[in-house]
Amino acid sequence: MADPVRSKARKPGVSRRSFLKTVGVAGAATTAPGFLRSRAEAQDTPYRDPAAKRGGTLRYGVHTAPAHFDVHQSGTVANIGAQSPMYDTLLRRDPRDGQTIIPDLAFKWDVAPDGKKYTFYLRKGVKFHDGAEFTAEDVKATYERIIRPPKGVVIPRTSLFTAVGEIVVLDPYRIEFRLTEPRPRAFMLGAFASGWNIIVRKKTLDDNQGNLRQVMAYPGTGPFRHVSRKDKEVWIMERNPDYWNKGLPYVDRLEVYHMPPFSPELGSAFLSGKLDYARLLDPVSWRKAKEMPGVTAAAFNQSVIQACFMNQKKVKAFQDVRVRRAMHLAMDRHVLVDVVKDTAPMQIGGFVYPFHEASTPKAELEKRLGYQKDPKAAIQEAKKLMQAAGYGQGLKGLDFLVRDAATFKLWAVAIQAMLKENLNVETNLRVVQISQWFEEAAAGNFDIAITAIVSSLMDPSDYFTAWYGKDGPQNYAGWTNEQFHSLARNIEREVDDGKRKTMIRQAEDILESDPPLIPVSYEQIYDAWYNKVRGQNPTPYFGIYDVVRWDQVWLQS
Amino acid sequence: MQKYLLRRAFFALGTLIGVSLIIFVVLRILPGDPLVAILGVEGHAKMAPADREVLMRDLGLADSLPVQYARWLRDIATGQLGKSFFRGDTVRDLILHRGPLSAEIAILALIISWLVGLPVGILSAIRPNGWADAVARSLSVLFIAVPGFWLGLLIVLALLFWFGYKAPIVIVQLWQDPWQNFQLILGPAVVLGLAQGAYIARMSRSCLLEVIREDYVRTARAKGTVERSVVLHHALPNALLPVITISGVLLGFVLGGSVAVEQAFGVPGLGRALVVAIIERDIIVVQNLVLLYAGIFVVVNVLVDMSYAWLDPRIRYQ
Repeated sequence: MADPVRSKARKPGVSRRSFLKTVGVAGAATTAPGFLRSRAEAQDTPYRDPAAKRGGTLRYGVHTAPAHFDVHQSGTVANIGAQSPMYDTLLRRDPRDGQTIIPDLAFKWDVAPDGKKYTFYLRKGVKFHDGAEFTAEDVKATYERIIRPPKGVVIPRTSLFTAVGEIVVLDPYRIEFRLTEPRPRAFMLGAFASGWNIIVRKKTLDDNQGNLRQVMAYPGTGPFRHVSRKDKEVWIMERNPDYWNKGLPYVDRLEVYHMPPFSPELGSAFLSGKLDYARLLDPVSWRKAKEMPGVTAAAFNQSVIQACFMNQKKVKAFQDVRVRRAMHLAMDRHVLVDVVKDTAPMQIGGFVYPFHEASTPKAELEKRLGYQKDPKAAIQEAKKLMQAAGYGQGLKGLDFLVRDAATFKLWAVAIQAMLKENLNVETNLRVVQISQWFEEAAAGNFDIAITAIVSSLMDPSDYFTAWYGKDGPQNYAGWTNEQFHSLARNIEREVDDGKRKTMIRQAEDILESDPPLIPVSYEQIYDAWYNKVRGQNPTPYFGIYDVVRWDQVWLQS
Repeated sequence: MQKYLLRRAFFALGTLIGVSLIIFVVLRILPGDPLVAILGVEGHAKMAPADREVLMRDLGLADSLPVQYARWLRDIATGQLGKSFFRGDTVRDLILHRGPLSAEIAILALIISWLVGLPVGILSAIRPNGWADAVARSLSVLFIAVPGFWLGLLIVLALLFWFGYKAPIVIVQLWQDPWQNFQLILGPAVVLGLAQGAYIARMSRSCLLEVIREDYVRTARAKGTVERSVVLHHALPNALLPVITISGVLLGFVLGGSVAVEQAFGVPGLGRALVVAIIERDIIVVQNLVLLYAGIFVVVNVLVDMSYAWLDPRIRYQ
């Protein structure tokens, strides 16, 4: 039976009923494939706007040009924003709500009751842009590379599939992923539906020794085909007339313009009408767009936490949990969000995505010390903790490593002032380019450092390991807590949603009392589009990495 | 003359080799990891040491510095200029695609600087300490002081909010659509041209004031030559030599200034490509573009020196 899964977002998606109908048809198709196959395929694209019209050119502004062309190896919207319209994934998120998982190249799927086997049934007759037929071998090659990348190939999503032991091609249109231990279904299906995990041809991978960094426009099965690219300017695509999802895409041509995020350049290009849709607008342009007639502006959640790291490997004081907790409490987070309000949109949160179903609700969080609008009580508590730890006189001369970006520089100055004023902790700001920041952070050359870290999924099991895990790649502070690590491992394996939620709350409590980092804020994304662009509203989306294909967008004029 | 040219060419070559060595060494000792831009933040964090080794080898950064330098010289000699670390585009293609736009901006800026600076300088010199002189001097100080990128941003915002206008967002070459191309280059050229025009106005004023007191100018006046002819035909040609010299130097400022001004206007020229390459730590692109800028600067200065003989028959090259 096909397996609908909603990710754990607070905002429920729309039209669950129509989705379930689709799933029902797909499920029936399993039992009666002979006559239902065509019905299942006819309905497995859940959303067709009856008013949609064909034709036109969509001009979309998003991020600077990609550093390379390998979507799997990328961690930035520079790739996925420009390239994903040329590719498909096994499963995908419904563009209407950005949450519900719906079929894509796999028209249905089964999950074994023990949660250790995922079988995908693939569409027949799907063609890559070079005319080759899509089969299970392409899926296997794609996922083998994601899960076990060759040397010199680094794929940030590898960690999502650590439980996958074997990928077995059952026949050209059926493939099975066998797990060594169970994983929550929502987590695994979320991983398969991630926009990053595009399906590429086995031959393409073989021809390029598994490295597509410098291979432009390798063939996909997606709704748009490559036409031309001007480096750092524009990537032009045309409608794929042989797209398996008949009738889609609606627009004939897609022009993706590379423009720096939050930049006046992107804002001015949109406001002057040179773009139809702009992603990652700066707050000033976004507010201006919101006031413009005929324009819609939307804000939505992004998969990024902005955080300060306290280097426990270098600063002895930070090994004391009381000092770290005191520094966490000394932050006035409402001010920190306000400080950057004209630079980037932010919101308050703790150690788990504040909009995730399992995290402490915002109203409850804001009653907690460290998150209250009036920080007096938290600061008093912080002072007591510093006193008890023997640092009542504060700390001097801490090296504060700051990434050279507007938000981090603004925050660094504010945090420096908060630490000095509230705890008499004195820091020296050291602003460095992003390339140097990560070199220094990885080498542990800092006392305090500020940056943004990201995850692929909203599910805590994705980032608990990366951000807070022992030797986790983004655990720059070198934090460890055996109780937490053990709990995180159990959360990773727990398949009962209710139990898992309780465990995540427990983990959150541990992180509050023994902070691995100082959460500064959580990012939001500002989009705006002229109202002639129909068929997509990102308001309920999580991040900018899943719903990125533009196949169901149409132009009214 | 030939000997002189050979000597100048030899010195120019020496200068360029010196510049190339400085760029090469500085780019390699500066802290920062190009793999951050290639792999992204998350990928970089998850990279294993073995992956780093392979990646650095693929980029050619694992070789010794002399080998890397020799490879660069070879790339220059073949005209390929190497490949970008990132998308694999050759630097030659980058220069061929974006260079014409930056060259147009530089040339138009130079023309604007002369069109604005020279008349203002002449006006100031023939009526020294008058109100026109005071206004001209104040404006020239203002345009020297105002940073080009800031003025650029103001112009972009003013055009956007008052007229809803923005120049094209991709490169349009002169031969593709002259009008669109003109819209692209006009803003940066005006900002750069006004700043350089201010220098030219000040220099031409002071030179003209000096020349205008010379005996031969007095003689021309005594002959009954009209004042306009005295200034334009007798005094100005002799006052122009230092102005031409400074124009050569100013071209360096135009090239340097274009980096920030192209960024402010969002014009995808070479200056902007250089900024992006520096941020991305795309060493191959940076070293070639800086060397190109240095080469242009050196060549222009040689041409300026050579123009002296043509402008002033008294000068002979030994």
